[in-house]
Amino acid sequence: MKKYFQEFFKGIIRENPTFVLVLGLCPTLAVSLSVINGIGMGIAATFVLLGSNVIISLIRNIVPDRIRIPCFIVVIATFVTIVEMTMKAYSPVLDRALGIYVPLIVVNCIVLGRAEAYAQKAAVLNSFFDGLGMGIGFTLALILISAIREFLGAGKILGHTLIKGFTPAFMFSMPSGALLVIGLLLGFFNLLKERK
Amino acid sequence: MDAAQFLTIFISAVFIWNVILSRFLGLCSFIAISKETKPALAMSLAVMFVTTMSSLITWFIYRFLLIPFNLTYLRTISFILVIATFVQFVEMVIRKISPPMYRFFGIYLPLITVNCAVLGVAVLNSDMFFVNGQPVEGSFWYSLFQGVCVGLGYTLAMLLMSGIRERLELCAVPKSVKDFPLGFIIASIMSLSFLGFNGFRF
Amino acid sequence: MKNKLIVNFSPHLHKDESVSKIMWMVVLSLLPVGAAGVFIFGLSALRVILLGVVSAVAAEGILQGITKRKITVFDGSAIITGLLLAYNLPPKVPFWFPIIGSFFAIAIGKQIFGGLGQNIFNPALVGRVFLMASWPKYMTTFIAPQNYDAVTSATPLALLKEGKLLEKFSYLDLFLGKRGGCIGEVCILALILGAVFLLLKGYISWHIPVTYIATTGVFAYIFGLKGLFTGDWLFHILTGGLILGAFFMATDYVTSPLTRKGQIIFGIGCGLITAIIRLWGGYPEGASYAILMMNAATPIIDRFTRNRIYGAR
Repeated sequence: MKKYFQEFFKGIIRENPTFVLVLGLCPTLAVSLSVINGIGMGIAATFVLLGSNVIISLIRNIVPDRIRIPCFIVVIATFVTIVEMTMKAYSPVLDRALGIYVPLIVVNCIVLGRAEAYAQKAAVLNSFFDGLGMGIGFTLALILISAIREFLGAGKILGHTLIKGFTPAFMFSMPSGALLVIGLLLGFFNLLKERK
Repeated sequence: MDAAQFLTIFISAVFIWNVILSRFLGLCSFIAISKETKPALAMSLAVMFVTTMSSLITWFIYRFLLIPFNLTYLRTISFILVIATFVQFVEMVIRKISPPMYRFFGIYLPLITVNCAVLGVAVLNSDMFFVNGQPVEGSFWYSLFQGVCVGLGYTLAMLLMSGIRERLELCAVPKSVKDFPLGFIIASIMSLSFLGFNGFRF
Repeated sequence: MKNKLIVNFSPHLHKDESVSKIMWMVVLSLLPVGAAGVFIFGLSALRVILLGVVSAVAAEGILQGITKRKITVFDGSAIITGLLLAYNLPPKVPFWFPIIGSFFAIAIGKQIFGGLGQNIFNPALVGRVFLMASWPKYMTTFIAPQNYDAVTSATPLALLKEGKLLEKFSYLDLFLGKRGGCIGEVCILALILGAVFLLLKGYISWHIPVTYIATTGVFAYIFGLKGLFTGDWLFHILTGGLILGAFFMATDYVTSPLTRKGQIIFGIGCGLITAIIRLWGGYPEGASYAILMMNAATPIIDRFTRNRIYGAR
């Protein structure tokens, strides 16, 4: 049981997909404009990760190595479609907010990345927890980055203005701002790690 | 089909709308592989090969399969499958030619499959060079050329970044920002400077 | 035992003057421009300049203090950054504008790379494009010259971009600074004075500024508004931030190439990009972006224009 907990936990901090593995940047830059979008995207991506990791782990001994990449893509695309349809049915508001980025989970490096690096070599339950940890790590990273960007770039958090009379710095609503925030956060985390 | 259009495609794809620095596609491999120039160039070559060949094949699929059978909503997934197959092929080739390079790329080689730049240019081609389901005149050659140019744009960004990071290797940068954090910050400043090309009108 | 082998990073300056003295000379050469700016735009310009300089020095001091590095605020480089940032701003910006700009310039443009000599991008320009991206409204509101009541007025290049340029600027007006614009860019006379001082003393070489300005002029001449080879090159040379950028920012040792050949490439690149943005881009002026882009290319330029070591194949 402890082993599973370790698999789960590494995705949150030690091998955080955004800050340590440097994966999934394109959607991160685009979606981390507001906290609510970040949460939504994170949850959707986590579902896909869970599904694809488990299935790919199940079929890992059947898939020939020479065609494994296209096979993985089919699996991932299937789960993305499931998530997309579920979202359209049960939360059209969130679906509209996330727009094109739900189908684009197919090209989110994190999903294929974990399939390649882990699920195709590991047992099902391990892969499940790995996917869960990575997904939650991704979601937490999104929340952190979008909180900063939403505050500095639009003066709000979760849609509510916090400080009156604060003219927001538009750069943070741009991808350049996202890159800067990620870089500085990463530097800050490294600093904390050193001090420990 | 005229030369001016080719020139426009070249300048747009490489400079004005640089796939990494202006469109922000393909960032994962950009930050991860750009620390040294040789691997950066090798990765750029691989990406350029994939963008070119997938531009070619996806054009045919779009023209002769998706449009005639009214399946254009399958565009994204069919394009990705084409790209995935190609990347698998490239991976096998590199594994044979240069195992150390293969090991160095690690996970970023199969990740060219989901490199947003590659899917991006395929989608861009079908948006730009097809009107109302019909290919515009010269569509095939424009699409192919744009595939090449997006690869060149990727190469330019990688080259600039690897030059910068190689130079910084010789400097005493603060330990906490060494490597990735500084890479992100450099990317941020580079993309800020590429804002200068906003609103371009020929 | 302290390491006796010192591996120093370029620029390796072979002068008998210290790097610090050179920087103070650059500060000196920038003073006429500041004086002209205050004369033309009034006390608000003075406020911007002072705030910019003080914030830059404070930022460097604080950051170096926190990170327990040697405090080098008196070598003059922070003051140069503060001055250049202020000169790149319109006169009527809020008081916090130059403060935040200077902090950003010093922190992100310089200190995070490890301090002097290690930055890739010109810090003042990093600050400027940050301000431009974040608060475009403040960066594009200019006042008329010698009109201390702050009547808003557009810069000549902005008018050109909108197609509203009437024949109201004489070349003499442009040369002396009788136009709207950023504090340090309008008075060409003062800029030339400072530049000549630096050139004569050998602190900058002519290669970058001359190739930069010439390229922009030639390009603007070729692709004139009324057809090929009809461009008003003198107008383009005298307007915008071209002279300020070419002589004082593109020439920064740390962020430009080492070899003469590399510097010429750098100058041409800056000139081309500036001209292209002015003629076809969305912004009226492209000098800051051009210089930053060429800053990014400098390591690669250096790599490919390295002088061959005798005996190497």
